[in-house]
Amino acid sequence: MIEVIACAALEAALNRLLSLEPQLDAELHTSKHKVLCVELRDWQQSIALTYTGKQFMLFNQYTDPADCKISANVDTLMQLSNPSILTHLIRQDKLDLDGDLQLAQSYSNAFSNLDINWAEHLSRYLGDAPAQQIANCFQNAKVHRVSVSKTLQNTLSQLCQDELKVTIHPLELEQFKMHTRHVKNHTAQLEQRIHSLLNR
Amino acid sequence: MKESPQDTADFGYKTVDREEKASMVADVFHSVAAKYDIMNDLMSFGIHRLWKRQAIACSGVRKGHKVLDLAGGTGDLTAKFSQLVTDSGQVILGDINDSMLKVGREKLRDLGLVGNIEYVQMNAEALPFPDNSFDVITIAFGLRNVTDKNAALRSMYRVLKPGGRLLVLEFSKTDNEALSKLYDFYSFNLLPSMGKVIANDSESYRYLAESIRMHPDQETLKGMMDEAGFEQTTYQNMTGGIVALHRGFKY
Ligand SMILES: C[S@@+](CC[C@H](N)C(=O)[O-])C[C@H]1O[C@@H](n2cnc3c(N)ncnc32)[C@H](O)[C@@H]1O
Repeated sequence: MIEVIACAALEAALNRLLSLEPQLDAELHTSKHKVLCVELRDWQQSIALTYTGKQFMLFNQYTDPADCKISANVDTLMQLSNPSILTHLIRQDKLDLDGDLQLAQSYSNAFSNLDINWAEHLSRYLGDAPAQQIANCFQNAKVHRVSVSKTLQNTLSQLCQDELKVTIHPLELEQFKMHTRHVKNHTAQLEQRIHSLLNR
Repeated sequence: MKESPQDTADFGYKTVDREEKASMVADVFHSVAAKYDIMNDLMSFGIHRLWKRQAIACSGVRKGHKVLDLAGGTGDLTAKFSQLVTDSGQVILGDINDSMLKVGREKLRDLGLVGNIEYVQMNAEALPFPDNSFDVITIAFGLRNVTDKNAALRSMYRVLKPGGRLLVLEFSKTDNEALSKLYDFYSFNLLPSMGKVIANDSESYRYLAESIRMHPDQETLKGMMDEAGFEQTTYQNMTGGIVALHRGFKY
């Protein structure tokens, strides 16, 4: 029951945020009605988040299919701020990413793009000094969120490079360009020789 | 002459004629309709919202689904489902009592929820829909008021699509003795007094307490669902078994 209460409280907080920061609605427009599920393996919790266009809904113990699913232990999730080990984690079966990763990314972007004036919102309830203090804490938390968002961005490209070979790594591209330059030089040389042979 | 058991039904702790029960239940909800939501919050200390959100989490309701919120009353579940199914889906709020439906419709309209909700007066025992109509059916705190529960479960099974699921949220039996004593004291002493003070109607709230005790326990209800044809039937206890959420599928 305690998880249900925690989940309800978190949902209420998210919806409060939504009413304070209307730009969230615009940012999540394309993600509406899609379900993002985070499975915390060691806590044996599956939490699903969906945005209906009016409000966020957050469910625990979610067992139905989701549009995007992230599954890992809690401490693995914390490590996600270091993108270089992502594919490593996946290979070790410590992390599982399934479905539409853009969904996770757009959530992460939407929240990290928020520029909330916490001091102003809070001073209404707390008075100015404590509000400023708390706001500073949030500021620090935000820096962390930005890094998570970068992580997710990198995840996409990393996955494509390492796992799927859909896109190519910049180094590979460099190599490819070098090859083509070589070939081009070769053909130019050949062309010249043919010309000189013909003109003889 | 002794009445045969088929002619009677329980109304709280009283035994009444089968035909009579429906209209007596109707009276109860006619008289509480206006104050229903506020009483719900007060009586359960707001916990009913947690029970309901768990039912929604287990419903798997998605965009495009067709959902029946049976005995939906003032529409707490419908409000959430309406947002989840979007305009490509539909939610039908079904209740036997037009006073409850009216309160529900006004409430949902005030919330700006229109377009994909239909309000239909119906008896759970004989649902007015063709076979295989719904992806999800919920009945929250409604089944114990229904006279013929088996007929109602069969009817729900019939109108459910193959692959669809039924969720029954209902008061149940707690096996924790201390909790059970506390709960008894609460529901038989405090509850009717609260009903008297707030809704000026202690009888309705006495019925509530009694009908909860008469309702089948977890295993019995699971058996009834199996009997009606449901498969993979499971239940989860909440708040120590004071409330249970049953779930069954039709394949
Ligand atoms: C306690 S309320 C529950 C309302 C709502 N589902 C909720 O959880 O707040 C029970 C509802 O069941 C309805 N009801 C009772 N018997 C019924 C029947 N046979 N068919 C359909 N609805 C019925 C009542 O009118 C009442 O609105």
